[in-house]
Amino acid sequence: MHCFMRPFDPLFIIEVLPELMQYLWVTLTVVVGSVVFGTLLGFVLTALKLSHHRMYRMIGDGYTCVIRCTPSIILLFIVFYGLPKFCLEVFDYDINEFHKMFFVITTFTLLFAASISEVMRSAYLAIDKGQYEAAVSIGLSPFQALYRIILPQGAIVALPNFGNAFITLLKEGALAYTIGLIDLLGSGNLIIAHNYGSYALEIYIALSVIYWGMAILFEKVFLGLEDRLSRYKKTRTA
Amino acid sequence: MELNYDFMLKTMLVVLGGVPVTLKITLVSLLVAAPISFFMALVRIYEVKILKQFVKVYVSFIRGTPMILQILVVYSLMPSLLNNAVKYFGWQVNVFEVDPIIYVYIVFSINTIALLSEVFRSALLSVNEGQIEAGLSIGMSITQVYIRIIIPQAMVAALPNLCNLAVNLIKNTSLAFLMTVKDITATGKIAASYGYNYIEAYMDVFVVYLVLCTIIQLLFKFAEEHVGAFRQLKYN
Repeated sequence: MHCFMRPFDPLFIIEVLPELMQYLWVTLTVVVGSVVFGTLLGFVLTALKLSHHRMYRMIGDGYTCVIRCTPSIILLFIVFYGLPKFCLEVFDYDINEFHKMFFVITTFTLLFAASISEVMRSAYLAIDKGQYEAAVSIGLSPFQALYRIILPQGAIVALPNFGNAFITLLKEGALAYTIGLIDLLGSGNLIIAHNYGSYALEIYIALSVIYWGMAILFEKVFLGLEDRLSRYKKTRTA
Repeated sequence: MELNYDFMLKTMLVVLGGVPVTLKITLVSLLVAAPISFFMALVRIYEVKILKQFVKVYVSFIRGTPMILQILVVYSLMPSLLNNAVKYFGWQVNVFEVDPIIYVYIVFSINTIALLSEVFRSALLSVNEGQIEAGLSIGMSITQVYIRIIIPQAMVAALPNLCNLAVNLIKNTSLAFLMTVKDITATGKIAASYGYNYIEAYMDVFVVYLVLCTIIQLLFKFAEEHVGAFRQLKYN
């Protein structure tokens, strides 16, 4: 597995970057897909957690608790091996031939929803209740009050944590190669296999650089977004 | 859904055999990381030149790259690095016979050091600076102030973050199977491919992690209630 004869080749790290970058879109599709579906599921979970019914609250809190205790890779394996079996036996529908991406996005949707529902819950609770009451008292419907008054303010509160969850998801997404998805890491492993196991270190370093760059980039983007969204807040305090 | 419950029960016993390995990795990483992280936290707080930059880059790198890549990098780097060291120092060790768990300890320590240093830093900063001044003014040395005044308070403040870190670390150790160490996940994986009972084996692994992480969280909750008891005096 390790080639001791060949010295470390730093130039290869740069040479291999363009080849790896061709698969960047796969990694990003996984992230974006999981964020979109995860946020939707997160809304539902937040609603459950804030519900007045004890049963609903227990379901919402229980879900987050269970997911928090599950290693991502185990959830990925359970979804990848279990979901097709479940669908076949319960719905008599074969999803074995579905694209690997489907299973990866399903897994990370489940994961992301758990953390994002906590973010949303605390953001919702951070907004003064008087805001909602004021909105309803001037004749907005409860949905309008939520959509126009609570959501914009809650978004600012939630943004830093949302950014953290996003970057965590980006990194966890690297596990997708373990079920055979050809993303950044998957393509890197293919190149290593083509070279009979050599260049492993160079390729993994190149991949680390790509991921590190993405993490820093997204961190900056979220900081910028935070600045932009809270511009009204600033004028008030200034 | 039809599951092979007999197999699940039998596998559960096998998977439980992996629990000590998982706990060992977690504990060793935490113990190795603790002193180094504390030092790094001090470097950041006191803004030690050059070292500060190094710590910043190190933490940023560890936090910015996937755990799995860190494992792969170290695992492909270590044997040749070790081989060179062996040749250089003329040790009588066969690099290929090194227990892979050593590599696991190294990777998870490297990772934990970075994350723990951030936890320590925020915890130390949470203690009011006046406490240091008060300690110094009554004639304690700076080391005494830290050991007797700052660290005890900082540790209580750090407990929730430490709990998070410990749970995440346990979850991350599930990747140790990549380095052929027989932890919970690895034993489950081996059982899974034996007879193609994937879902049953992974359900077992899932349950074991669920119980393990719940116990850890309960322990931290217990610690918080007891160690943090003095804090409530302030509010009553």
